[in-house]
Amino acid sequence: MAEFKFLGYLAEVVGAQGENLVLDKPTPLRKVLPSSFPEKNIIILIDEKVGNLDSLIENKNSIIIMPMLSGG
Amino acid sequence: MKGYAGKLLRVNLSNGKVMKEEIPDSTKRDFLGGRGFAVKLLWDEVKQIDPLSEKNKIIFSTGPLTGQGLPSSGKMVIASKSPLTGGYGDGNIGTMASVHLKKAGYDVVVVEGKSEKPCCLLIEDENVKIVDASDLWGKDTFEAQDLLEKKHGKNSGILLIGPAGENQIRISTVMSQKGRAGGRPGMGAVMGSKNLKALVIKGTGNVTNFDDGKLKELTKKGYEEIKGKESYEFWMKQGTMQAFEWSNENACLPTYNFREGVFEFSKEMDGYVLEQLHAGRKGCPMCNMQCGHIIKDTSGQEAELDYENVGMLGPNIGLRDLRQVALLNRMADEWGLDTISLGSCIGFLMEASENGLIPEKIKWGDFEAAQKLTVEIGKGEGLGKLVSHGVKAASETIGKGSQKWAMQVKGLEISAYNCHACPGMALAFGTSPIGAHHKDAWIISWEIANDRFSYDKSKVEKLIEFQRIRGGFFESATVCRLPWVEVSFGLDRYPEYLEAITGEKRSWEDLYKLGDRIYNLIRAFWIREVPSFGRKWDYPPERWFEDTQSEGKVKGIKVDRQKYEQMLSWYYELRGWDQNGIPLKETLDRLGLKDVSKEIIG
Repeated sequence: MAEFKFLGYLAEVVGAQGENLVLDKPTPLRKVLPSSFPEKNIIILIDEKVGNLDSLIENKNSIIIMPMLSGG
Repeated sequence: MKGYAGKLLRVNLSNGKVMKEEIPDSTKRDFLGGRGFAVKLLWDEVKQIDPLSEKNKIIFSTGPLTGQGLPSSGKMVIASKSPLTGGYGDGNIGTMASVHLKKAGYDVVVVEGKSEKPCCLLIEDENVKIVDASDLWGKDTFEAQDLLEKKHGKNSGILLIGPAGENQIRISTVMSQKGRAGGRPGMGAVMGSKNLKALVIKGTGNVTNFDDGKLKELTKKGYEEIKGKESYEFWMKQGTMQAFEWSNENACLPTYNFREGVFEFSKEMDGYVLEQLHAGRKGCPMCNMQCGHIIKDTSGQEAELDYENVGMLGPNIGLRDLRQVALLNRMADEWGLDTISLGSCIGFLMEASENGLIPEKIKWGDFEAAQKLTVEIGKGEGLGKLVSHGVKAASETIGKGSQKWAMQVKGLEISAYNCHACPGMALAFGTSPIGAHHKDAWIISWEIANDRFSYDKSKVEKLIEFQRIRGGFFESATVCRLPWVEVSFGLDRYPEYLEAITGEKRSWEDLYKLGDRIYNLIRAFWIREVPSFGRKWDYPPERWFEDTQSEGKVKGIKVDRQKYEQMLSWYYELRGWDQNGIPLKETLDRLGLKDVSKEIIG
């Protein structure tokens, strides 16, 4: 099972702040995200390492996707 | 040049003299406005004086984009020689005063001298008067704002100080519209030292622009573009408070005086809690993405919250109730105290108490004690007196190793990002030209998106790029950076705005050079005003080099001192400064600052 966490407005794009997915095989991240998911100005961490939408994810991965914020 | 009101208003409070001066086109071209005008004036006119003496000057400065109806353009810069840091100090504020100032026919107001008694500067187009304000002295910024609005009209542009500014507390700011604040490095104290309680500005004219038709079209498109951004709706719900969850997730939320980066009670006070408590929204003029979120505090009064004040008055002092934080925030606004520095001062005292360095017992999260301290700091009495000059001065007074966790750079308290594991952001705080502030270069998001643990030269290059855009362009234009940084509004719009307003084409390359000129002049001001100024002034606090966080994903990590030194050396090299952080003659000459190089280099 891969564990997802979405921060900020990205949680609204997906419709959840977090979700778990069971994957049959290593899968590009973009394949499990909605087609409307933004491609720019986002931060992707897979097991705390920087990833991208083409990174392959698999069960046991922890994926955090958050917006590039400025904090004011 | 079009797009400017064209005049500088100079008011001397000692002799009551009022002068109106033309602003040369060369100054407009080379320094643009806002921060650029301010540092040029301070460099030329304020030399080696006591910041709280009548020889200091305080500058209220707009830019060509200010008040033009463009997205988030209701800003001005307030600048002076800082009584908190001893160097260049400024802050921007969103206020109707900026809009009115240009309508009244002025881009800049310079206030010098000192009034014998409390006064208010009243600017109504051509008519400028210094009027008695004894009846307002001692009143908080909410009550004084009400009284001034009653007297001069609700839509007047008002800038004022609270009792903290009157008492010349060095972490006091200038306030406007009950909650807008600007001038973290003690700009409130400078007004107080001049017995200047308020400025009231009413303008009825209009600035002539190069192409009003084009400007109108671009303005309309700009607002529409902002509203259409995919993150806009969420921004309107949480504003900068979305950074609370973000910072906690990334273990950089300032917690217990920056000892930790994860707050165990964060879920009780994050942006989602703010949404539930939401009672309204406030913002600056000409903004369709207002950032001030209002909730009712524990006394039932309205208070305006954003990430910085919640971070610093919440986790940083161990407070976990958003309504309690709101009360402290409202108190700070009433007194005219900077909320970031206030949170840092209270956190410093709590840690000092825990370590037995002061006899008073103040526990983390003690709401009653935090309220009492806020009042004492505003008055400069009791324990508040110890931190009323900021945490740097307080740590020098109590010693015993407390300098290590006095969370400041150049004397200005660090804003709400803990950087044990964000070396790029630590360097951003280290090299910020007013002391530690996020406004000049918020690189933390970029570094987490790339490699937060690296100390690469590319990180330093990115930092300088951000400083050029944020601290150079936005602070001088003078407009709010939030449309760009928060909802990804296009940077390319700004040269288009400048051209429609001034008639001059400027590329981002030109604007970077402008930013470099401003940064170098600020640096020169520090060098001239602070005899010991040099490399050691660009270091973050020892806590980030020596301590590690005990919890969270960056547990056990600290800033590597040697690698920080390397990044700082690259920073100097890229800036064209020597290894002590002093601009090289050729750098200043290249930027058209030959007179400056003569004065500081010879």
